[in-house]
Amino acid sequence: MSTTTLPPTKKDAPVSAPKVRASDRARGEKRLGWLLAGPAFAVMLLVTAYPILQATYESLFDYRLTDPENRSFTGLTNYWVILTDSLWWQSIGVTAFITVVTVAVELVLGFGLALVMVKALRALRPVLRAAILIPYAVITVVSAFAWQFAFDIQSGFVNSWFAWLPGVSENTDWFGDRWTALLVICLAEIWKTTPFISLLLLAGLAQVPEVLQEAAKVDGATRWQRLWKVTIPNMKAAIMVALLFRTLDAFRVFDSIFIMTNGANGTESVSFLAYRQTIARLEIGLGSAVSVLLFLAVVLIAFSFIKLFKVDLSQARGE
Amino acid sequence: MSAIPDPHSPRARTGVPGQGRARPRRLAGAAAGALLASGLAACGGGGGDASTLTWYINPDAGGQAEIAARCTEEADGRYTIETALLPRDAASQREQLIRRLAANDDSIDLMSLDPPFIPEFAQAGFLAPVPDDVADRVTEGVVESAVEGSTWDGELVAVPFWANTQLLWYRESVAEEAGLDMSEPVTWEQIVQAAEETGTLVGAQGTRAESLTVWFNALIESAGGSIITEASPGDPSQIELGLTSEAGVRATEVMQMVAESDAVGAAFSTANEDSTATGFESESGGFQVNYPFVYPRALGAAEAGTLDPSVPEDYAATIYPRVDEETPAAPPYGGINLAVSAFSESPELAYEAAECIVSDENQAYYFVTNGNPASSTAVYDDPEVLEAFPMAPVIRESLEQAAPRPQTPYYNEISVGIQRSYHPPSSVQPGETGENATELIKAVLAKEDLL
Amino acid sequence: MSTRNKVLWGIGGALIVVYCLFPIAWIVSVSLKAPSDLSNGSFLPSTPTWQNYDLILFGGASDLFLPALVNSFGICLIATAISCLLAMFAAYAIARLDFPGKKLILSTALAVAIFPVISIVTPLFNLWRNIGLYDTWPGLIIPYLSLTLPISIWTMSAFFREIPWEMEQAAQVDGATTWQAFRKVIVPLAAPGVFTTAIIAFFIAWNDFIYGISLTSTEAARPVPAALGLFTGASQFEEPTGAISAAAVIVTIPVVVLVLLFQRRIVAGLTNGAVKG
Repeated sequence: MSTTTLPPTKKDAPVSAPKVRASDRARGEKRLGWLLAGPAFAVMLLVTAYPILQATYESLFDYRLTDPENRSFTGLTNYWVILTDSLWWQSIGVTAFITVVTVAVELVLGFGLALVMVKALRALRPVLRAAILIPYAVITVVSAFAWQFAFDIQSGFVNSWFAWLPGVSENTDWFGDRWTALLVICLAEIWKTTPFISLLLLAGLAQVPEVLQEAAKVDGATRWQRLWKVTIPNMKAAIMVALLFRTLDAFRVFDSIFIMTNGANGTESVSFLAYRQTIARLEIGLGSAVSVLLFLAVVLIAFSFIKLFKVDLSQARGE
Repeated sequence: MSAIPDPHSPRARTGVPGQGRARPRRLAGAAAGALLASGLAACGGGGGDASTLTWYINPDAGGQAEIAARCTEEADGRYTIETALLPRDAASQREQLIRRLAANDDSIDLMSLDPPFIPEFAQAGFLAPVPDDVADRVTEGVVESAVEGSTWDGELVAVPFWANTQLLWYRESVAEEAGLDMSEPVTWEQIVQAAEETGTLVGAQGTRAESLTVWFNALIESAGGSIITEASPGDPSQIELGLTSEAGVRATEVMQMVAESDAVGAAFSTANEDSTATGFESESGGFQVNYPFVYPRALGAAEAGTLDPSVPEDYAATIYPRVDEETPAAPPYGGINLAVSAFSESPELAYEAAECIVSDENQAYYFVTNGNPASSTAVYDDPEVLEAFPMAPVIRESLEQAAPRPQTPYYNEISVGIQRSYHPPSSVQPGETGENATELIKAVLAKEDLL
Repeated sequence: MSTRNKVLWGIGGALIVVYCLFPIAWIVSVSLKAPSDLSNGSFLPSTPTWQNYDLILFGGASDLFLPALVNSFGICLIATAISCLLAMFAAYAIARLDFPGKKLILSTALAVAIFPVISIVTPLFNLWRNIGLYDTWPGLIIPYLSLTLPISIWTMSAFFREIPWEMEQAAQVDGATTWQAFRKVIVPLAAPGVFTTAIIAFFIAWNDFIYGISLTSTEAARPVPAALGLFTGASQFEEPTGAISAAAVIVTIPVVVLVLLFQRRIVAGLTNGAVKG
């Protein structure tokens, strides 16, 4: 093994009343447990299970909101229409692009932020912490507007500030081209969500045993070697959880695109496509099918993360 | 945001500011608490009392709320009009109204509707039939395009309210320098050439939004064609498009010529009405096609000291440019018409209120204070109107010539399909783009494609 | 740490602060620009003016913005309170009791958290219309629970796991009643976790956009993010950039205040108490 980790420590078992008679207690705890957790469980199911079942059902129909009389069962036709449409694959591509770029940059940047937070002077720490929480807490719509106005050819300052960069001039129309528009969308997303990643990574950094660091130092490992062989392997769980949450989040990107380009120039994400079919085009059947496919895609991503990368959520969440 | 609304409403810079708006809204705000208290409550607004009419208005500078208050007073207790605000862009206004109407919502009585969406509402059975006597009265002395815009399948389905149109705005100094005789009709080629010679800009709306359809429709109609040649009210798969016709190709050529010329600004593919007006106010302003709001906008900026007062003095307006020298132009038509919901509890009262709202007096008030041109021709002789808008006669003439956008219940599909195919305008290919657009729109109408 | 290192990390820290605050500074700057000053091409306004704030707080747009602000606060606070209450019971059960289905509840919370909101909106709209919840406070509070409950359950159960529950028994041994033991010992220990969870849940509800634009239509329930789309410039064709920026600044103030007051707790909450400040 080329990396150094400590064996997992035993987790604390829940502390509860001393054992009397196992079966009695188990029954009582079960009842109490469901009594307490039941309402939350029921609310979660109600607000999500019902709509997704309804959407799945409606996705099998040709159904236009303004024309309910002609609603007809068409089976999987809607899915066929979507999966054979280049616009769907383009949206998947755009969504995947935004996801990969933002998550990758955020991971590196977030790691850097976390390192600075650990190393910075004690006096600086509260300032840093407050600063880093602000992008996290700001409404996405507000952040989208701020970035849009900044890059806007009329109201923005970016063009006049960065005119010295090759390819940027007073007349650069950031939202007029697909890739520059996507770049601005990615920048806004990265700004908004890097703090969340860096906080999760910060938690991971704190879990790296100091003993191992010292041992590696004694063995003459360079700073770089220590980072790759000790620090990162020991915070793999935290990294994976951060990755998973952000990937799923990024895959549902909607607000920024809605505000900044409204889907123009090939910047539609899958969420946006679903919105356009259902809300703007009023094709409930087709739109529901897009929603269901989006849901399946998200489940697939979550599943493959958990299975392929063996992300142990319970470990990272301190279960 | 790039959503482009059809109507417009310059804030009254000279007249009464939007104070009328506050009254009804406070009521609604107060209602929020009551709604919460009752837990389960019907939708907001003035449900319950049949003599209270709820009028959903597009955002403006307060004119519609003031008109509502005036009509309420005039009605002397027979009805009370409360206003509720719709989103800024026309597409979102439609989305919100249509979802509520599809659910048979009886809390909407009157609606300020953007004309292209009227057929969709009418076809779906969301509009209460216009009584014959009302229809006769509200179409008398009204510009042709506004009547057309309120008609679906041969019947009047809405009450013409105000009518908007784009003019060709030019800087007199620039036209003079280029030696262009603006008293005669001009073509797109001429203004692009004049702008290139004088190093000025030609402004048009190249952004991917409703305004692109507005532009393209004006081009194809000016070339003697139409986006839709066979409306087929009942069956969307039978809709015939005229995009590949000679006029369609000609319109595409003009669009390409303008977009590729040196006369358009750097951000042409994201240019909307507002940025076009900004470009026209700048030093390189030469020509633009735009709605009348650009005039009070420039006057306001001059008053605020951010624009040299000599600039608005240099403004002049004439009829929309022609595509071909011989054929009169078909300028864009927009505005707002009033519709009465089929689910209203008191449609008769609602029509009575609608007639009051569109009275010549109210239209003149709205024109002068909010800058929204009247659909009634008599208003254009009002001295106050002429004082606020010296170009009022041109607006009226333009409205008489104007062509509505395609009238079809599937307007959204067609317009978004056009925006997808003809954007960015510099990429269009005469012939090819029309074919692609036809293919896409047909597939979308047949529900074989996403949009 | 050497002085050189200290300086380097200090510079790094300063860069972070600039990075985090720059867009906020920009939107504040835009909100202080007069409409005709917007395209001046520079970061700062030529002459700062309060006119955008005046417009949305006292002027023509105030009857649009102020009810929206009240709605946003009311709806988000109620949604936060409900989800914290429900999550408190659930988290207690998860942290303290051993019962089958614990995993199921946690996985459900996870599944709900990753759920694409857009998939829920349309069916919910139709249902709300039928039962009269459309455009009401409860009509937004309920879907907001789908956003706030999962994170509340996860965060709170992580907090509750760290509570030394044996102290409760110790107090009882010392003669306190069950209720006293709970009130005097457990409540003070659990309160910070509940409070932190509430802040995070509030942030999430406050951030919503899709539900806000889809499930409301009047001042009766419309929250601020949805109201931003209704502002109008001097005319409907003119972009209401200034009004939007001023409103954006105002909705940012509450979250900034929360961050400044409770930053340590929020960090602990987000990382489940793994980092001790």
